[in-house]
Formats: sequence, C-alpha cells, structure tokens
Amino acid sequence: MKAVFETAPLLLAAAGKEGEKGHHGPSFVGLFVYVALVLAVLFALMAYAKPGMSQRVFSGRKLLGLPILGSFEQIYLFIEQMCVGTIGSHGRKYIPMIMTFWMVIFVGNLVALFFPTSPTADLSFNLGIALISIGYVQWEGMRANGVFGHLKHFAGPKLPGALILISAIIFVIELISELMKNVSLSLRLFGNIDGGHQAAVAMNELGKHIIDLGGFELSIPFGAFLLPIKLLTCVVQAMIFSLLTCVYLSLVTHHDDHGDDHGHAPAPAH
Amino acid sequence: MTGNVLGLGIGIAAFGVAIGLGLIGYSAMQGMARQPEAIGKLQTAMLIALAFVELVFLLVVFIVPGSVR
Repeated sequence: MKAVFETAPLLLAAAGKEGEKGHHGPSFVGLFVYVALVLAVLFALMAYAKPGMSQRVFSGRKLLGLPILGSFEQIYLFIEQMCVGTIGSHGRKYIPMIMTFWMVIFVGNLVALFFPTSPTADLSFNLGIALISIGYVQWEGMRANGVFGHLKHFAGPKLPGALILISAIIFVIELISELMKNVSLSLRLFGNIDGGHQAAVAMNELGKHIIDLGGFELSIPFGAFLLPIKLLTCVVQAMIFSLLTCVYLSLVTHHDDHGDDHGHAPAPAH
Repeated sequence: MTGNVLGLGIGIAAFGVAIGLGLIGYSAMQGMARQPEAIGKLQTAMLIALAFVELVFLLVVFIVPGSVR
C-alpha cells in the first residue's frame, strides 16, 4: 500500500526536480520534438507504402536495403501470432491497437540508439502510453462483458453468504493492482531504455581523455560497444509491452468466450 | 543517506534479481532443449516472467533513492 504513495518522488525525479542526481531527460518541448521524430518516421513509412501499394509494397521492392514486403509481413505475422496465441481466437480484432503500440514503442526505442534521448526514455511519455493501454483494456472489457460484468470481474470468484466481505476486499485489491499496472508498464519501459542511456554515459566516462597524444587528448566512446545489447533491449521491450497488453486483454475478455465455445477454445490457443 | 549505502543496497537488489533472472533463463533453456517444438510458447512465458522480475529491480532503483533521504 505504501508503494502507491511512494511514486510521488519518482514523478518528481522524472520531472528533473530531484536535485543533484536529477533526470537528464528533455524538457516538455524537447520531448515533443522527439515524439514528432517518431511520428515522422512512422508516417513517412506509411506515406511511402500508400501510393501504388501493390507495386511498392507487394512486389518486394527494397527500402534501406530491406525487402519492404518481407519486413512488414514478418512484423504483421509476429503481432498476429502474439495476439491469437495469447488472447485466443477472438484476439484478431485487437491487432490494430497492439500493432500501433508495438510500432510506436519500437521506433521510439530505436531513436534512443541514435539520439541522446528518446520519447521512451522519458517517464511521462511511457506513462501516457501505459494509461492509453490500460484504458483500452478497460474499454474492451466493458465491451465484452458489459459495464457491470466488467466491474464484477474485479470481485473475483462468486463466494457464498458472508464471504461477500472477502469479495469486497478482493475488489479493492484488484482496483489497486489495475492502477499499478500503469506504473509497472511505464516504469519497465522507462527503466530499460533510460538505464541503457545511463550505462552508455557511464562507459563513455571511462574512456574520456584516455589517450594523450602530446597535449591532444583522445577519448574512446566505450558506450558505443553497448549498442548491440541496447538494440536487443529495444526489440524485447517493445515486445514485452505489447505482450503484456495482450495478456491483460485476455484476462479481461476471457469470460464471455468461456461460456460460448468452450469446446474449441483450446485449439486456437496453440 | 549517503550515496555509498544507497549503492550497496542497489547492489544487493541486483544480486537477488540476477539470481532470479538466471533461474528463469536456466529453466526456460532446459525446457527448450527437452522440447524444441515448444520454443515459441516457452519464449513468450519466459519473457513475461523476465519482465516481472526485472520490474522489481527497476522499482528499487527508482523508488528507493526518492524515498530514503
């Protein structure tokens, strides 16, 4: 319970008000420049693909050395497999949202490889995405089970008699855990991307003025050797965010499916 | 609280979390070696578990320095 109130210093730290070891993130306007960069990359890809889609995208032309058909198809199949595998047969309708999360976060993480900071290395952007994600989960839960059914889902299993008191406690706990999902999603992404930045900065510090060429000091950017593992983090974190959104969706939209087609439910879960 | 004590605490947290991550990777790899056709499912479950264990360390790193002073 205490941890809920302990996020205040965290938010202060993200706003750069912590003092000597404050957050080195961009200002509000600076963050928007990076968000605009991410959106520019995404919209440029879409604008490239849109006119004459069948010739440009589906004829296997290459963009930046990558076969654009192959890469987009692989991304789509990856997301589709994630949705259908985690949520079940009705998971296909959540693909657009999950795909959007994946692409925004992945491009935002890639920006972190080339620029001193990135949108996903800032807690406010991540918290915004997490709020959208959890809000979407609530909305889909209400669409699947109705508002009352969705709220009843928080109370856990149906308990007889006086045990309804326990249901009330479970309801409160589930509400708190639902709120903490926002914090956990955003903090995980922020910690991984910003942690990579801090590690690179610390390793650059090691190689500062390491070679002395008679008055001219040369530095070696050791942090650059972290780039491969940062790339791995970028892919994995984008995947984990969308995967966890899938898991939350599957938890919330599970019930109505359970009654209808109980027979063939396990088959598409493969 | 001085920075040194804080660093020690974070080191202890990293110690435990590293053991946890190692256990997850160990068992997932063992499962994958025994059942190579289940690699996709095992990877998904492994990544979710990794994310939850990692979050503990991130919570320590970002919340403890703010609350201890």
